[in-house]
Amino acid sequence: MSAENTAFSTSGADAIARTIDVQPERTITSPSELDDFYEIERTIAEILTGDYKRVALQFPDELLHDSVPIYRRLKAGIGLGRELYVLADTSYGSCCVDEVAAQHVDADAMVHYGHACMSQTSRLPVIYVFGKKPVDVHDCSHLLSGVFEGTVALLRYDVAYAHQAESIAAALREALKIPISTSQTSDMVPENIIYIGGESLGLTNLLITHSACSVYSYDPSTKAARLESSRTNRLLMRRYATVQKARDADVFGILVGTLGVASYLPLIKHLRALLARAHKKSYTISVGKLNPSKLANFMEIECFVLVACPENSLVEARDFLRPIITPYELEVALQAEQSWTGRYVLDFEKLLAESAAANPDAAPESQQDSDDPDQPVFSLITGKYRHAKRFGGADKGKEALPADAEPSSSVALRSQDTAVALADSAAALFLQERTFRGLEARVGEDAPSVLEQGRSGIARGYADDHRTK
Amino acid sequence: MVNFTVEEVRSLMDRPTNIRNMSVIAHVDHGKSTLTDSLVSKAGIIAHNNAGSARYTDTRADEKERGITIKSTALSMYFELGKDDMSAVKQKTDGSSFLVNLIDSPGHVDFSSEVTAALRVTDGALVVVDTVEGVCVQTETVLRQALAERIKPVVVINKVDRALLELQISPEVLYQSFCRTIESVNVIISTYHDAALGDVQVYPDQGTVAFGSGLHGWGFTLRQFAARYAKKFGVDRDKMMKKLWGDNYFNPATKKWTTVGYDANGKALERAFNMFVLGPIYKIFDAVMFHPDPEALPGMLEKLGIKLDENERDLEGKALLKVTMRKFLPAGDSLLEMIVIHLPSAATAQAYRVDTLYEGPMDDESAIGIRTCDPRGPLVVYVSKMVPTSDKGRFYAFGRVFSGTVRAGPKVRIQGPNYVPGKKHDLFVKSIQRTVLMMGRTVEALEDCPAGNIVGLVGIDQFLLKSGTITTSESAHNMRVMRFSVAAVVQVAVEVKNPADLPKLVEGLKRLSKSDPCVQTWISETGEHIVAGAGELHIEICMKDLEEDHACVPLKVSRPVVPYRETVTAESSIVALAKSQNKHNRLYLKAMPLGDELTLAIEDGRIDPRQDFKIRARALADEYGWDVTDARKIWAFGPDGTGANLFVDGTKGVTYIQEIKDSCIAGLEWATKEGVCAEEIVRGVRFNLIDAVLHGDAIHRGGGQVIPAVRRVINAACLLAEPALMEPIYLVEIQCPEASVGDVYSCLNKRRAQILSDRDSEERRPGTSMFTIKAYVPVSESFGLTDHLRAATHGQVFPQSVFDHWEVLPASPLEKGGKMEELITKIRVRKGLNPVIPALDQYLDRL
Repeated sequence: MSAENTAFSTSGADAIARTIDVQPERTITSPSELDDFYEIERTIAEILTGDYKRVALQFPDELLHDSVPIYRRLKAGIGLGRELYVLADTSYGSCCVDEVAAQHVDADAMVHYGHACMSQTSRLPVIYVFGKKPVDVHDCSHLLSGVFEGTVALLRYDVAYAHQAESIAAALREALKIPISTSQTSDMVPENIIYIGGESLGLTNLLITHSACSVYSYDPSTKAARLESSRTNRLLMRRYATVQKARDADVFGILVGTLGVASYLPLIKHLRALLARAHKKSYTISVGKLNPSKLANFMEIECFVLVACPENSLVEARDFLRPIITPYELEVALQAEQSWTGRYVLDFEKLLAESAAANPDAAPESQQDSDDPDQPVFSLITGKYRHAKRFGGADKGKEALPADAEPSSSVALRSQDTAVALADSAAALFLQERTFRGLEARVGEDAPSVLEQGRSGIARGYADDHRTK
Repeated sequence: MVNFTVEEVRSLMDRPTNIRNMSVIAHVDHGKSTLTDSLVSKAGIIAHNNAGSARYTDTRADEKERGITIKSTALSMYFELGKDDMSAVKQKTDGSSFLVNLIDSPGHVDFSSEVTAALRVTDGALVVVDTVEGVCVQTETVLRQALAERIKPVVVINKVDRALLELQISPEVLYQSFCRTIESVNVIISTYHDAALGDVQVYPDQGTVAFGSGLHGWGFTLRQFAARYAKKFGVDRDKMMKKLWGDNYFNPATKKWTTVGYDANGKALERAFNMFVLGPIYKIFDAVMFHPDPEALPGMLEKLGIKLDENERDLEGKALLKVTMRKFLPAGDSLLEMIVIHLPSAATAQAYRVDTLYEGPMDDESAIGIRTCDPRGPLVVYVSKMVPTSDKGRFYAFGRVFSGTVRAGPKVRIQGPNYVPGKKHDLFVKSIQRTVLMMGRTVEALEDCPAGNIVGLVGIDQFLLKSGTITTSESAHNMRVMRFSVAAVVQVAVEVKNPADLPKLVEGLKRLSKSDPCVQTWISETGEHIVAGAGELHIEICMKDLEEDHACVPLKVSRPVVPYRETVTAESSIVALAKSQNKHNRLYLKAMPLGDELTLAIEDGRIDPRQDFKIRARALADEYGWDVTDARKIWAFGPDGTGANLFVDGTKGVTYIQEIKDSCIAGLEWATKEGVCAEEIVRGVRFNLIDAVLHGDAIHRGGGQVIPAVRRVINAACLLAEPALMEPIYLVEIQCPEASVGDVYSCLNKRRAQILSDRDSEERRPGTSMFTIKAYVPVSESFGLTDHLRAATHGQVFPQSVFDHWEVLPASPLEKGGKMEELITKIRVRKGLNPVIPALDQYLDRL
C-alpha cells in the first residue's frame, strides 16, 4: 500500500524514481521462448489481417520489462507504415483494457498483455495475449481426481492456461470419468467447478458468485489441488457485514473504477437513479486507483459504490475509512426487506437486466415507503435506531423539518452568509457538523485592502515557494 | 374478585399526593414475588389462600418453571387506609384511599437492568432481605442503585418462618440476627448518603422495617404490636414503638420499664421485643408445630383475637400454622401500611428527584412541571422500557408521566436518547394511539393519565428502541438516561439454520434488543450476528426468546465469547511520528494511561463530553491532577464520542492546527474502535498530540492525508506504550454450607479466581452454618461455573456473578510465545485478520 502514491505527489522526479515491488514471474532469455510465450506470430498476423495502422500495447507493471523485446519483434514483423506504442500501466486495474489511454495515441487497435478480466469492451478491437503458462496436464488430472467428488463439473481456468484448456478437460474426463464442460457461459451452473490457476481475484470472484457450488482448484505453479469452497461462506459473511454498513449510509459516492467495461455508463446512470429513488444523496467520483487517502478526502460520503470490472470490484475496505461495496450489494442494501441468500452478481449486464425486470415493482415500493418517511430504522451495525436523512424528496423534506419553525436552530443562524439550500445538501449538512468551517468570512468588519499579486503555479510548488533554497 | 375498579384507580390518579410508586427489590430468591402476592391478594386480585404460591407477577412460562423472575412486572392497586393510621402519614394527603403502583423486579444479577428500568419510574423501594441469608451482593447492588436514583427504601425481613421452623433459634439470637441485617442495610444506605434525600436509614422502632413470611402470608411492623400494647400499658403508640426495640426491658415483677438487661437481683430480663413481639409468635409456632395441643390452642387464639372458620379449625400442621398466622398478622396490611406511611407520594418525591432526573435547566417549564407534579403542565413522560404486547412485534412503551397529562391523539415530541434540544436529530413528532394501565398480566384501557403515574403507551414503539423522553414543550430537554450496573460482557454469535430465514433473524434481533433494557445486538466485521448480555443465564433466556418469540426460526448459537479491551500501561517510550501519505504532514504523539479513576469517571458519566469544557477542566484539575490548560484542550472522547479515551491537543503555535481537528477526531474514532493488538475497543488511554507539521495548502492537509496518519500515529504510540489487554472480571458471591467450603474453593481455583475473603474472615450468618465466599473470577473462566459448583456441592450452592471491573492481563501482547500470544492469535483469526500483530515500523515513520 505504501508503495502507491497519490496524484498530489511532491514532484515529478519522485514518480519516476519510485520503485515498485514487482516479482517477474519468469525470465525469458531466448527469443524463441519469447515468441512462443507472447504469441508474437499470432499478434502480427492479427494486426496484419485487421490492417491496423496504430496499435497500442498495454503491459501490466510486472510484464513491463519485456516490453522492449516484444516491441522490437512485433515491429520487425509488421513492417513499415504501422506504428506501435507501449502504454504505461493504467490508472485502474491492469486486467482491464485501457481504451482511453489508447485513444490518446489515436490507436485503432490494442494488444493487451498479461492477465485479463475479459470484460466486454466497447471502443476498440483488442488482441489479448495472456502469456502461455505451462501446466502439467497429467499431474493436474491426477491430483484433482484425488480430491474431486461429484458427477458433473465445469472447468474454469485462469486465462494464462487457456491454451491448455482443452487438453486438461480431456485428461480430466478420462481420469474422473465424468462429463466436463468448458463453456464459459455461466447460465448453466453445475454443482461442481474445477478451477485451474493460482489464488487470485478471479478465483475469489468465482467463489463468491457461485456460492452454491463446490469449487476445486489446481494451482499449476505450486502443483496443489484442493477444495476452495470452505472459505466462501466467510467471504460472503464479510460482504454481508459491509452491506449492513451501506444500509446505514445516506450519502453515497459512486466510484468510477473502470473505463473499459462496456456498460459502465448505463450502470452509473442506473445507480444514480436507484439512489435518488431511495432518497439518498450520490456523488460520482473518478479517482483512478483507489487508496485510503484519496477516499478519505471525501469525508461527507458515508459509503462508496465501486463500478469496476468484476475482478476489481471486491475491495477489502479494512484500510479505508468508509466501506466500499459493489453495485449488486447496493441493490441489496436498498431493499426494504433484508435478504442475503448467498446469491451474488458481479456482471454489469446481468445486473442491469435484472433490475430492469424488477423495475415495475420498485414504484409501489417507494410509495409504501413514503407512508412514514421519518420512521427510524434499526441499524445492525450499532444495534440502535438510526434516523435516516432524506435527500431529494423535496415535498417531504420540508414537512419533516420541525427545525424550520424554531428560531433557535443553528440552521437559521447561519443562513445569511451560507446561502445554500440546506434542506437538501449533504455537503452543507456536513459542514454544519464540522468544528472547522473554513476561514471566517468577517463580512463588513475589515476595511477594504489593496489588491496584491497572488501566487502562481501549481500546488506542488508555487512560483514564489521555496525561494530561499 | 378484584375489590376495585379501573374507574376508582383512574379517579385516584388525579391525586398525586395519594399515589405511591414503588418497586420490590432484593437478592435473588429472597422472596420478592412471593411477598408481592400478599399485596396482590390484599387487593383481591388473587385469593388469600393462594398468596405465596401463585407468584402472580411472574407472567412468563419460563419464570414459573424456573421459579425466578426474569422481567419486571407492573401492577396498579387501590387501597383504603384505616382512620387511625392516617394520622401517621406525615406528608400531604387527600382522602384515605391510595393508589399503589407496584413493580416486581427480578433478583438475579443477570437481569439487573430490569431493576434499573423499574427504579427509574418509582419513588420508593421495598427491599426484601432473607432472615437466614442476610444482605447479599445483589441486595447491595440494587440498594445502591435505588439510592443513586433518590429512591427511599423500606425493608422487609422475609422468611422469618425458616428461622423458627428450620433453625429453631432462640428469640434473642433471632433478635441479634435482625439487628445485624438492619445494620448492614444501614451501612449501605449511609455510604451512599444523598443530602437531598435526607436520612433514609431504616429503624424498626420508626416502622420502616417489617418482619414476616411471604410464603405463609404473614408479616408485621412494630406499629401493629405497639397499637396492641399501647392501650394495655396506657402509653402513646409512638412511645410504645420505641420501647419494643433495642435495649428496653420490661420487668414483669415490678411492672417497670428499664434499659438494663437484669433486675435488682441480677436476674436476666427478657428484652421487650422478644417478650411482646416474638413471644406470641413463638407461642403459636410451638402450639401448632412443635407441641400440638388441640385443647389449649383455641383459648390461646382467642386471647390473641384470632377467629378461625369451621373448616380451618380442622387443619393441622403447616396449613393450620399458615392460616393462623395469616389471621393474626396479615402481611398485606402491614406492608401496605408501611408503604403508604413511609414511602413518598409521587408529589413529594418529584420535588426532590427533579434535579437528578432532568437534564435541562431547573427553571424551564418542563422542570417546573416535574417538580410540582402538575397534571396541567407541559407533558414529560420517561419511557424506561418496552413491554411486548400480544401483537407480535409491537410493544407498549412503559414509563412514567412526570408532568402534564398524556392522552391519545395530540402530537407529542418523541425524543430519543441522542436528542439535543434545538436539533432535529433523534426527534419525532407523532401521536400516541392509546394509553393503558399495566395490570400485571393484563392491561386496562385508560382515557388519559395525569402526572405521577405509571402508564403504558401504544403506537410509539417504532420510534424508540429501548427508552426515551416524550414531551410537548419545544424547549424540553431529555430526561437523564439510565445507567446500568451490569455490562454486556458475554457475547454469542447467532446464525440461522436456513439462510432464507435471515430476514426473520434480523427482525428478531431488533425485537430482542427492544424487549430487554440491557441486551445489545449487532453485526460484527466478519458478518456474524452478535448478541451480548450480562451473563450466561441472561444470554440463555435471550436466545430462547429470540428463537421462540422474536424470530420464530431455528437458530444456531455459538459458544459464548468475551470481549476484551486494549489499553496501555506506560507512557510511550519515544514520541511516535507518522507522516501523511504525501509526506507533507507530520504528527508527533504520545500515548499514556488515563488512570483507573478517570476512566471510571468517564464511563459513569461524571466526566462527560457534553459538559461545558471549563467545568470539565476544573474537575479534571481538582480531582485527577490534570494541568488546567491541557484539560481545556481535550479535542475528543473516543470511540463513539463518549468512550474513555481522550485526545489532547498539546501543540504550541502550530498554524492550521484547528483545521485538522475534525480529521483527528475521525482518526481517533477509527483507531480506538479497532485497537492495534487485537482490534478490540481501546479503553483508558490518553493521547497527547505533541507537535504537528502541516502543509501550507489546505488540499495537502485534508482529511484524506491526516485521518490515516492519525490512525497510524495512535497505533504506533500504543505499541510504544507497553500495550496490554484487559479482560472483564465478575465479582462472584457464593453462599454455601460449611461442609462445602472446600469444594467451592477447589472449584474456584481451577478458574483463575482471586478469592477475596480468606477462610477466617468469611462472613458466617448467625444461627446458621452458611458461609459467604466472595471472589473475582474472569468472565472468560466463568462459563459453566454454576453447573460446576452445583455438581461439586450436590446442588447446595448457587453463585451470583456480577460484572465488576476490567483487569489488565499481566503478559504483554507483544511477547512471543506463551498464553497471551495464543489469545491474541485466537481473536485475530476469529476476526479474519493477519494472526500476527503488525510490527511497529508499519506505523512508525522516520524523519
